[in-house]
Amino acid sequence: MAPISPTEAADTLRNIETAERHSSVAYGYRMTAPHLILWGVIWFIGYGGTWLRPDLGYVWPVLASIGAIGSFAIGYGMAPKAGQRDYRHVLIFFAVFAFIAAQLAILKPINNMQIGAYFPILVAFYYALLGIWIRGTRLLLLGIATSVLTLAAYFWMPQYFLPWMAIVGGSALLLGGLWLRRA
Amino acid sequence: MEQPDATIHQPVRLKIMAALKPLPPGEMLEFMRLKTIAGATEGNLGAHITTLENAGYVNVEKDFAAKRPRTRVALSKAGRRAFEDYVAYLRDIIDETPSSERTKP
Repeated sequence: MAPISPTEAADTLRNIETAERHSSVAYGYRMTAPHLILWGVIWFIGYGGTWLRPDLGYVWPVLASIGAIGSFAIGYGMAPKAGQRDYRHVLIFFAVFAFIAAQLAILKPINNMQIGAYFPILVAFYYALLGIWIRGTRLLLLGIATSVLTLAAYFWMPQYFLPWMAIVGGSALLLGGLWLRRA
Repeated sequence: MEQPDATIHQPVRLKIMAALKPLPPGEMLEFMRLKTIAGATEGNLGAHITTLENAGYVNVEKDFAAKRPRTRVALSKAGRRAFEDYVAYLRDIIDETPSSERTKP
Protein backbone atom coordinates (compact mmCIF):
# COMPACT_ATOMS: atom_id res chain seq x y z
CA MET A 1 0.00 0.00 0.00
CA ALA A 2 1.36 3.44 -0.94
CA PRO A 3 2.26 5.61 2.05
CA ILE A 4 -0.17 8.37 2.96
CA SER A 5 1.06 11.91 2.35
CA PRO A 6 0.54 14.58 5.04
CA THR A 7 -1.95 16.38 2.77
CA GLU A 8 -3.92 13.19 2.24
CA ALA A 9 -3.85 12.51 6.00
CA ALA A 10 -5.18 16.00 6.73
CA ASP A 11 -7.95 15.61 4.13
CA THR A 12 -8.91 12.22 5.51
CA LEU A 13 -9.09 13.61 9.06
CA ARG A 14 -11.35 16.40 7.79
CA ASN A 15 -13.63 13.83 6.12
CA ILE A 16 -13.72 11.83 9.35
CA GLU A 17 -14.63 14.93 11.34
CA THR A 18 -17.43 15.80 8.89
CA ALA A 19 -18.92 12.29 9.03
CA GLU A 20 -18.67 12.20 12.84
CA ARG A 21 -20.38 15.59 13.17
CA HIS A 22 -23.11 14.61 10.72
CA SER A 23 -23.76 11.41 12.67
CA SER A 24 -23.70 13.18 16.07
CA VAL A 25 -26.19 15.81 14.96
CA ALA A 26 -28.50 13.19 13.42
CA TYR A 27 -28.32 11.19 16.67
CA GLY A 28 -29.16 14.30 18.72
CA TYR A 29 -32.12 15.00 16.43
CA ARG A 30 -33.32 11.42 16.70
CA MET A 31 -33.22 11.58 20.50
CA THR A 32 -35.00 14.96 20.64
CA ALA A 33 -37.72 14.43 18.01
CA PRO A 34 -40.14 12.28 20.08
CA HIS A 35 -40.05 14.83 22.93
CA LEU A 36 -40.98 17.64 20.54
CA ILE A 37 -43.84 15.62 19.08
CA LEU A 38 -45.15 14.74 22.56
CA TRP A 39 -45.02 18.34 23.79
CA GLY A 40 -46.54 19.63 20.54
CA VAL A 41 -49.59 17.47 21.24
CA ILE A 42 -49.66 18.60 24.88
CA TRP A 43 -49.53 22.28 23.89
CA PHE A 44 -52.30 21.72 21.38
CA ILE A 45 -54.55 20.09 23.99
CA GLY A 46 -53.56 22.40 26.86
CA TYR A 47 -53.75 25.78 25.13
CA GLY A 48 -56.68 24.69 22.96
CA GLY A 49 -58.56 23.30 25.96
CA THR A 50 -58.11 26.41 28.10
CA TRP A 51 -59.08 28.58 25.14
CA LEU A 52 -62.34 26.69 24.57
CA ARG A 53 -63.03 26.12 28.27
CA PRO A 54 -61.23 28.72 30.47
CA ASP A 55 -62.65 27.01 33.56
CA LEU A 56 -60.46 23.97 32.75
CA GLY A 57 -57.30 25.67 33.99
CA TYR A 58 -56.48 22.67 36.16
CA VAL A 59 -55.85 20.68 32.98
CA TRP A 60 -52.32 22.12 32.74
CA PRO A 61 -50.83 20.47 35.86
CA VAL A 62 -52.29 17.16 34.64
CA LEU A 63 -50.89 17.62 31.11
CA ALA A 64 -47.51 18.80 32.42
CA SER A 65 -47.31 15.67 34.61
CA ILE A 66 -48.23 13.46 31.64
CA GLY A 67 -45.59 15.26 29.57
CA ALA A 68 -42.89 14.87 32.23
CA ILE A 69 -43.66 11.16 32.72
CA GLY A 70 -43.84 10.68 28.94
CA SER A 71 -40.50 12.42 28.45
CA PHE A 72 -38.90 10.22 31.11
CA ALA A 73 -40.35 7.13 29.45
CA ILE A 74 -39.09 8.22 26.03
CA GLY A 75 -35.65 9.03 27.43
CA TYR A 76 -35.48 5.72 29.27
CA GLY A 77 -36.66 3.76 26.23
CA MET A 78 -34.18 5.45 23.89
CA ALA A 79 -31.18 5.26 26.22
CA PRO A 80 -28.32 3.11 24.93
CA LYS A 81 -28.88 -0.54 25.79
CA ALA A 82 -25.24 -1.17 26.64
CA GLY A 83 -22.83 0.70 28.84
CA GLN A 84 -23.55 2.64 31.98
CA ARG A 85 -26.77 4.63 32.13
CA ASP A 86 -26.31 8.35 32.53
CA TYR A 87 -28.64 9.77 35.17
CA ARG A 88 -27.36 13.34 34.91
CA HIS A 89 -30.42 14.36 32.90
CA VAL A 90 -32.62 13.35 35.88
CA LEU A 91 -30.58 15.61 38.16
CA ILE A 92 -30.75 18.40 35.57
CA PHE A 93 -34.55 18.00 35.44
CA PHE A 94 -34.85 18.47 39.20
CA ALA A 95 -32.41 21.41 39.16
CA VAL A 96 -34.43 23.12 36.41
CA PHE A 97 -37.69 22.37 38.24
CA ALA A 98 -36.33 23.95 41.46
CA PHE A 99 -35.03 26.94 39.48
CA ILE A 100 -38.43 27.51 37.82
CA ALA A 101 -40.27 27.19 41.14
CA ALA A 102 -37.91 29.72 42.75
CA GLN A 103 -38.15 32.07 39.78
CA LEU A 104 -41.95 32.04 39.75
CA ALA A 105 -42.03 32.53 43.54
CA ILE A 106 -39.80 35.60 43.23
CA LEU A 107 -41.24 37.18 40.08
CA LYS A 108 -44.87 36.27 40.84
CA PRO A 109 -46.56 36.36 37.43
CA ILE A 110 -49.91 38.14 37.73
CA ASN A 111 -51.84 36.40 34.96
CA ASN A 112 -52.10 33.07 33.18
CA MET A 113 -50.83 34.48 29.89
CA GLN A 114 -47.49 35.34 31.48
CA ILE A 115 -47.10 31.75 32.66
CA GLY A 116 -48.43 30.53 29.32
CA ALA A 117 -45.66 32.45 27.53
CA TYR A 118 -42.93 31.76 30.06
CA PHE A 119 -42.77 27.97 29.65
CA PRO A 120 -42.65 27.96 25.82
CA ILE A 121 -39.81 30.49 25.90
CA LEU A 122 -37.96 28.37 28.44
CA VAL A 123 -38.40 25.27 26.25
CA ALA A 124 -37.35 27.25 23.16
CA PHE A 125 -34.26 28.51 25.00
CA TYR A 126 -33.33 24.93 25.87
CA TYR A 127 -33.71 23.78 22.24
CA ALA A 128 -31.66 26.74 21.00
CA LEU A 129 -28.87 25.95 23.49
CA LEU A 130 -28.96 22.27 22.56
CA GLY A 131 -28.86 23.23 18.87
CA ILE A 132 -25.80 25.42 19.43
CA TRP A 133 -24.13 22.72 21.53
CA ILE A 134 -24.55 19.85 19.05
CA ARG A 135 -24.20 22.21 16.05
CA GLY A 136 -27.72 21.28 15.00
CA THR A 137 -29.04 24.05 12.80
CA ARG A 138 -32.54 22.58 12.70
CA LEU A 139 -32.82 22.52 16.49
CA LEU A 140 -31.50 26.06 16.77
CA LEU A 141 -34.01 27.27 14.17
CA LEU A 142 -36.81 25.52 16.03
CA GLY A 143 -35.81 27.22 19.27
CA ILE A 144 -35.71 30.63 17.60
CA ALA A 145 -39.02 30.06 15.76
CA THR A 146 -40.81 28.94 18.93
CA SER A 147 -39.53 32.00 20.84
CA VAL A 148 -40.52 34.41 18.07
CA LEU A 149 -43.97 32.85 17.66
CA THR A 150 -44.60 32.98 21.41
CA LEU A 151 -43.40 36.58 21.81
CA ALA A 152 -45.36 37.70 18.75
CA ALA A 153 -48.57 36.33 20.23
CA TYR A 154 -47.81 37.69 23.71
CA PHE A 155 -47.03 41.25 22.68
CA TRP A 156 -49.00 41.79 19.49
CA MET A 157 -51.96 39.41 19.63
CA PRO A 158 -52.77 38.93 23.31
CA GLN A 159 -56.46 38.38 22.52
CA TYR A 160 -55.52 35.38 20.35
CA PHE A 161 -52.74 34.08 22.60
CA LEU A 162 -54.33 30.75 23.56
CA PRO A 163 -55.54 29.64 20.10
CA TRP A 164 -52.26 30.87 18.59
CA MET A 165 -50.20 28.84 21.02
CA ALA A 166 -52.44 25.80 20.52
CA ILE A 167 -52.41 25.83 16.73
CA VAL A 168 -49.20 27.61 15.75
CA GLY A 169 -47.05 26.73 18.79
CA GLY A 170 -48.29 23.14 18.99
CA SER A 171 -47.86 22.65 15.25
CA ALA A 172 -44.37 24.18 15.34
CA LEU A 173 -43.25 21.59 17.91
CA LEU A 174 -45.07 18.72 16.24
CA LEU A 175 -43.82 19.49 12.73
CA GLY A 176 -40.41 20.36 14.14
CA GLY A 177 -40.23 16.91 15.74
CA LEU A 178 -41.14 15.25 12.45
CA TRP A 179 -38.58 17.43 10.66
CA LEU A 180 -35.85 16.36 13.07
CA ARG A 181 -36.83 12.71 12.74
CA ARG A 182 -36.32 12.86 8.98
CA ALA A 183 -32.87 14.45 9.27
CA MET B 1 1.38 1.44 13.03
CA GLU B 2 3.66 1.07 10.01
CA GLN B 3 0.88 0.84 7.44
CA PRO B 4 -2.69 2.13 7.56
CA ASP B 5 -5.35 -0.48 8.29
CA ALA B 6 -6.32 -1.56 4.76
CA THR B 7 -9.87 -2.44 5.84
CA ILE B 8 -10.55 1.07 7.12
CA HIS B 9 -8.42 2.90 4.57
CA GLN B 10 -11.16 3.13 1.94
CA PRO B 11 -13.38 6.24 1.58
CA VAL B 12 -16.79 4.60 2.10
CA ARG B 13 -15.65 2.27 4.88
CA LEU B 14 -13.93 5.19 6.55
CA LYS B 15 -17.17 7.19 6.50
CA ILE B 16 -19.08 4.22 7.90
CA MET B 17 -16.62 3.89 10.78
CA ALA B 18 -16.59 7.66 11.40
CA ALA B 19 -20.40 7.79 11.43
CA LEU B 20 -20.61 4.94 13.94
CA LYS B 21 -17.84 6.22 16.22
CA PRO B 22 -19.78 9.03 18.02
CA LEU B 23 -22.69 6.75 18.94
CA PRO B 24 -22.83 5.55 22.56
CA PRO B 25 -21.88 1.89 23.13
CA GLY B 26 -24.76 -0.40 22.16
CA GLU B 27 -26.42 2.24 19.97
CA MET B 28 -26.97 1.23 16.36
CA LEU B 29 -27.34 3.25 13.18
CA GLU B 30 -29.93 2.34 10.59
CA PHE B 31 -28.75 1.39 7.13
CA MET B 32 -30.62 4.23 5.42
CA ARG B 33 -29.13 6.88 7.71
CA LEU B 34 -25.70 5.40 7.11
CA LYS B 35 -26.37 5.55 3.39
CA THR B 36 -27.06 9.30 3.64
CA ILE B 37 -23.91 9.96 5.67
CA ALA B 38 -21.65 7.74 3.55
CA GLY B 39 -23.13 9.04 0.29
CA ALA B 40 -23.06 5.54 -1.19
CA THR B 41 -25.53 3.43 -3.14
CA GLU B 42 -27.33 0.66 -1.25
CA GLY B 43 -25.40 -2.11 -2.98
CA ASN B 44 -22.06 -0.42 -2.46
CA LEU B 45 -22.80 0.33 1.17
CA GLY B 46 -23.97 -3.23 1.80
CA ALA B 47 -20.75 -4.64 0.35
CA HIS B 48 -18.56 -2.37 2.49
CA ILE B 49 -20.54 -3.19 5.63
CA THR B 50 -20.01 -6.90 4.92
CA THR B 51 -16.26 -6.28 4.58
CA LEU B 52 -16.22 -4.48 7.93
CA GLU B 53 -18.37 -7.19 9.52
CA ASN B 54 -16.04 -9.92 8.26
CA ALA B 55 -13.11 -8.01 9.78
CA GLY B 56 -14.98 -7.95 13.11
CA TYR B 57 -15.17 -4.14 13.09
CA VAL B 58 -18.96 -3.78 13.04
CA ASN B 59 -21.93 -5.74 14.35
CA VAL B 60 -24.93 -6.02 12.05
CA GLU B 61 -28.49 -6.71 13.20
CA LYS B 62 -31.33 -7.46 10.82
CA ASP B 63 -34.92 -7.38 12.05
CA PHE B 64 -38.36 -5.99 11.23
CA ALA B 65 -39.69 -2.60 12.36
CA ALA B 66 -43.31 -1.77 11.55
CA LYS B 67 -43.40 -4.88 9.33
CA ARG B 68 -40.51 -3.58 7.21
CA PRO B 69 -37.05 -5.13 7.10
CA ARG B 70 -34.47 -3.12 8.95
CA THR B 71 -30.68 -3.37 9.03
CA ARG B 72 -28.77 -1.69 11.82
CA VAL B 73 -25.04 -1.40 12.30
CA ALA B 74 -22.87 -0.67 15.35
CA LEU B 75 -19.16 -0.39 15.93
CA SER B 76 -17.65 -3.38 17.74
CA LYS B 77 -14.99 -2.97 20.43
CA ALA B 78 -12.34 -4.16 17.98
CA GLY B 79 -13.66 -1.72 15.36
CA ARG B 80 -13.54 1.21 17.79
CA ARG B 81 -9.97 0.35 18.71
CA ALA B 82 -8.92 -0.09 15.09
CA PHE B 83 -10.53 3.20 14.10
CA GLU B 84 -8.83 5.05 16.97
CA ASP B 85 -5.50 3.54 15.93
CA TYR B 86 -6.12 4.62 12.33
CA VAL B 87 -6.92 8.21 13.38
CA ALA B 88 -3.80 8.24 15.59
CA TYR B 89 -1.79 7.01 12.61
CA LEU B 90 -3.06 9.91 10.47
CA ARG B 91 -2.31 12.41 13.26
CA ASP B 92 1.21 11.05 13.57
CA ILE B 93 1.78 11.65 9.85
CA ILE B 94 0.67 15.27 10.22
CA ASP B 95 2.53 15.86 13.48
CA GLU B 96 5.78 14.58 11.98
CA THR B 97 5.46 16.98 9.03
CA PRO B 98 6.37 20.66 9.25
CA SER B 99 3.22 22.74 8.71
CA SER B 100 4.82 24.48 5.67
CA GLU B 101 4.97 21.15 3.82
CA ARG B 102 1.36 20.09 4.47
CA THR B 103 -0.15 22.43 1.92
CA LYS B 104 2.23 21.48 -0.87
CA PRO B 105 0.48 19.61 -3.70
